[in-house]
Amino acid sequence: MTPTAPINLHDPQSFGSGIPHEAFAEMRANPGLTWTPPSDDTKGFWSVTRHDDLVTVSRDTTTYSSGVGHIQIYDIDEDALEARASMIDMDPPIHTRLRRLVSSAFTPRHVQNYKTSIRHRVQTRLDAVEAAGGGNWVDLVAKPIPIGVICDLMGVPPEDHDYLIGLTDHLVAGTGSETLEPTAYGNTTPLRLLPFNSPAAFAMSNYAAELGERRRVDPQDDLISKLIAAEIDGERLSTDEFANFFRLMIFAGNETTRSSMAHLALHLRQFPEMFEAVRADRSLLGAVADEVIRYASSILYFRRTVTVPTTLAGTDLAVGDKVVMWYCSANFDESEFPNPYEFRIDRPPVPPHVAFGGGGAHFCLGASLARLEISELIDEILDRELALEVGEPTYTESNFVNGIEQLEVTVL
Amino acid sequence: MSDPALNDPTELVQLAVDQDACIGAGQCEMLEAETFLLDDDTGIAALTGAGTLPRQRAEDVVDRCPARAISMVDQDDGAGG
Ligand code: HEM
Ligand code: SF4
Repeated sequence: MTPTAPINLHDPQSFGSGIPHEAFAEMRANPGLTWTPPSDDTKGFWSVTRHDDLVTVSRDTTTYSSGVGHIQIYDIDEDALEARASMIDMDPPIHTRLRRLVSSAFTPRHVQNYKTSIRHRVQTRLDAVEAAGGGNWVDLVAKPIPIGVICDLMGVPPEDHDYLIGLTDHLVAGTGSETLEPTAYGNTTPLRLLPFNSPAAFAMSNYAAELGERRRVDPQDDLISKLIAAEIDGERLSTDEFANFFRLMIFAGNETTRSSMAHLALHLRQFPEMFEAVRADRSLLGAVADEVIRYASSILYFRRTVTVPTTLAGTDLAVGDKVVMWYCSANFDESEFPNPYEFRIDRPPVPPHVAFGGGGAHFCLGASLARLEISELIDEILDRELALEVGEPTYTESNFVNGIEQLEVTVL
Repeated sequence: MSDPALNDPTELVQLAVDQDACIGAGQCEMLEAETFLLDDDTGIAALTGAGTLPRQRAEDVVDRCPARAISMVDQDDGAGG
């Protein structure tokens, strides 16, 4: 008998109190892959919950495609897929060519160039927390830092940062239960053709096109200027390709890091001894940042679609089958991470956690940048000896991002 | 195959980078900064110096590369068999 999922993995509410760890532990113990039968709004799908199976899927882009079908659980039509395509929904070799347009800006060594400006942003935000005696950690710290950093890199002017924060909030809301009016932001595109089915995606594309045009005329030392001038096989990116690239970078660089920074405040409350150890020995900063990232597992899953008949963990898969990689499960796989629910700063770097993906072509482009942002935030908190009383989180209702909407903190 | 008794963990092994497969994720340089260097313009990894590491560290860095672009070049196939 094929085991079926003990909870509705397609329902955002199943994630309303954080990662449903017990259900995932049960699925990891199942033989083979776990099946979710079809429902009104999606075909059935397979869940990959163990670390080794997830890595197998992630690294085999030929068998498990990102370019065929959607990379989220729900299905969308071909024209909708086409309209929203960016490198994250493509397979090599075209994926590789797009990725190389920007990858040199994100190498571990290169991101060190942004260290000072990141630290400065962190200090400004922590000043605000201290001045106010506390407040919503998400709005005060976790939101503004990552969006500021990625906007700077892209070349978005500071006065537009707040506008983009608003748009990205709505993009994720589109995966949960909150929805915008179809005509919001003057949208005229059918929602099903928009990423996350959200009018905010329409607004972001318009914004990208307009800024791209300004940079084409007057190039700056930023990624937008680089992308607008880039050629692949002698051809420039089309307006849509450019806009989709822009949207991917803003979304991917933002929501994920925000979520990890929000979870960090919870970890400070739950595991103070670990941070005390880092205060005494800052060479542990990288390790603690990676543990924050593992524990938060900010992106819960990505999906692939099977292109050739294959077998995984003893389960036979057919062409067109949907395979969902639950990073939030593999990161707590007890066979790879002993005592997985313990927050530890002495976990060996291999096997790596899969919060940035299980490896393969799509491995998070911003991994080094995210690690740096989170390390700088922790380092500054420790330098200041900032002590916080941390309240109970309100989680984002989404089965795609492990977000926190609200987390009240009080400076002690 | 890899009987630990036959594999001296301190034995140096030669590494190679497949630059067509490399996605510039830089995990190699992060783990082994003396052995790997990402090109500033292309973001693609290359070996620096001899490109050798003790076996255990070599296996770790091979495992860590998300693109499976790093491999160990077996110089003494069949030795000790
Ligand atoms: C803690 C923070 C972050 C987490 C947990 C995270 C997680 C992920 C995951 C799971 C993937 C998909 C991997 C796969 O399919 O194998 C991904 C891809 C990606 N991430 Fe991140 N990410 C984070 C921060 C960032 C930042 C700061 C950027 C900034 C540019 C970024 C840019 C991207 C891009 C562009 C992709 C698509 C790469 C591709 O398709 O080749 N991410 N990320
Ligand atoms: S870890 Fe692999 S993909 Fe990343 S830079 Fe090194 S060789 Fe390239």
